[in-house]
Amino acid sequence: MKSLITLARIEGRLVWKGMDIVLFGICFPVLLASLFGYLLSRDASSGASNFQLSFAAVTTIGVLATGVMGLPLTIADYRHRQILKRFQVTPVSPVYLVMAQALVQLSAALVSFTAVVTVYHVFFDFRLPGSWPVFLLTYGLVTLAMYSLGMLIGGLAPNQKAANLWSTLAYFTMLLFSGATIPYEVMPRWVQWLMDVLPLAHGIHLLKHAIMGEPWGQGGLHAAVLIGCILIGAGGTAKFFKWR
Amino acid sequence: MLNVRNLSISYGSKTAVDRVSFELGQGEVIGLLGANGAGKSSAIAGILGIQKSTFEELTLLGRSPIAHRREVFQQVGVQFQETNFPDRLTVQEACLQWASLYRETADVNELLHYFGLAGHENQAVNSLSGGERQRLAVLLALIHNPKLVFLDELTTGLDTKARRLLWRRLLTMKKAGLSIVLTSHYMDEVEVLCDRVLILKHGQTVFQGTVSDAIGTSSKPTLEDAYLEYSGEREEDWDEIANHVS
Repeated sequence: MKSLITLARIEGRLVWKGMDIVLFGICFPVLLASLFGYLLSRDASSGASNFQLSFAAVTTIGVLATGVMGLPLTIADYRHRQILKRFQVTPVSPVYLVMAQALVQLSAALVSFTAVVTVYHVFFDFRLPGSWPVFLLTYGLVTLAMYSLGMLIGGLAPNQKAANLWSTLAYFTMLLFSGATIPYEVMPRWVQWLMDVLPLAHGIHLLKHAIMGEPWGQGGLHAAVLIGCILIGAGGTAKFFKWR
Repeated sequence: MLNVRNLSISYGSKTAVDRVSFELGQGEVIGLLGANGAGKSSAIAGILGIQKSTFEELTLLGRSPIAHRREVFQQVGVQFQETNFPDRLTVQEACLQWASLYRETADVNELLHYFGLAGHENQAVNSLSGGERQRLAVLLALIHNPKLVFLDELTTGLDTKARRLLWRRLLTMKKAGLSIVLTSHYMDEVEVLCDRVLILKHGQTVFQGTVSDAIGTSSKPTLEDAYLEYSGEREEDWDEIANHVS
């Protein structure tokens, strides 16, 4: 535990000193969220509920940017520069290394989330119809699932090129096709079918239920997909972590 | 402390290390010698269990470094030939980070002082000079008072004084029971530190024994000449190269 805290503290300082996390983890998600909030809140034809539903998607952009981009890319960089090789000949568990990095990225995701909530609340007068605790709990589950996928990419990518490819692919497909930027509801039917494969799409469905305070309905399936991601991501990383 | 029997490493069809065997007792120092590419670093990677290898026996402090990685490295220190650090990491953070990985650690301030890094605590590791970074790498390998330490080209890039200081430190620790596996291209260093040497040529052991044996069994007057003879780098060949160039 002592080493996890020390590792996270030092990593935190290193990562926060770089501009990447501020730019991609905070500025970009907040900007995008503001833009969507602005467009949807003004567009009368899309109705008030579409604007409310967009809250689910925009709050996950920061999670995507930090969890499936920032996290795996930093780990892959350490592997590339043989920094992980030095850790391999110490008693540290790879789970700690990944968790320390995840905590750092999570801190940016938290800032991002708070900023998006503030923007939605202050500028667009957003009120959550459902209950905040249920929403936050669901949001936590979605975050865990996304971070587990990021861990898996970072933990297993054999080199930087592969890590880049996988995290970019995961980031952009989920950003564009899971309803995070373009609402699921406006997509053509066949794209919606495609979207149903993406884990984040399931997360956003769950979040939408939570926003509206509706019963979960098909929520069991969505939750199962997310929990599956967590199990595969965390288990795969712990078992198959590549030091070099 | 260390038992290696018939350790071999292949990269594809190329055999980098061919059936290397040696043992190391408490307080003993062995030097792995050989030209660049002879297989020294590969052998170390194989012994540490981080490079795929075949072997009949491989134990560090009585345990397999592969099956019992976390227990073994609680008491084993390693300085690789090349040591990279994250950007912006300071000397102080490098020490804190490394110390946090172990149950017990030495007096870090004393180590910083001894290795001439006191006063550099807040400096970024990547802005240190080559020699300073090398000293930090050795310091980190010793930060948890290991019982066995691997030092790959320990004094490359160090100035004379730093070299002598490091030798003195290692000899004191050796007397206190530290076992060391080192590689070096400097024969004066090998003579000062090593009880035994193992000379590799194309991955094969061409000599193993004490320093005086190495000199005795060759027809040469010094360890450096004996080493060159064993490692097959005869000076006569260089004359040929020199003549060819001129």
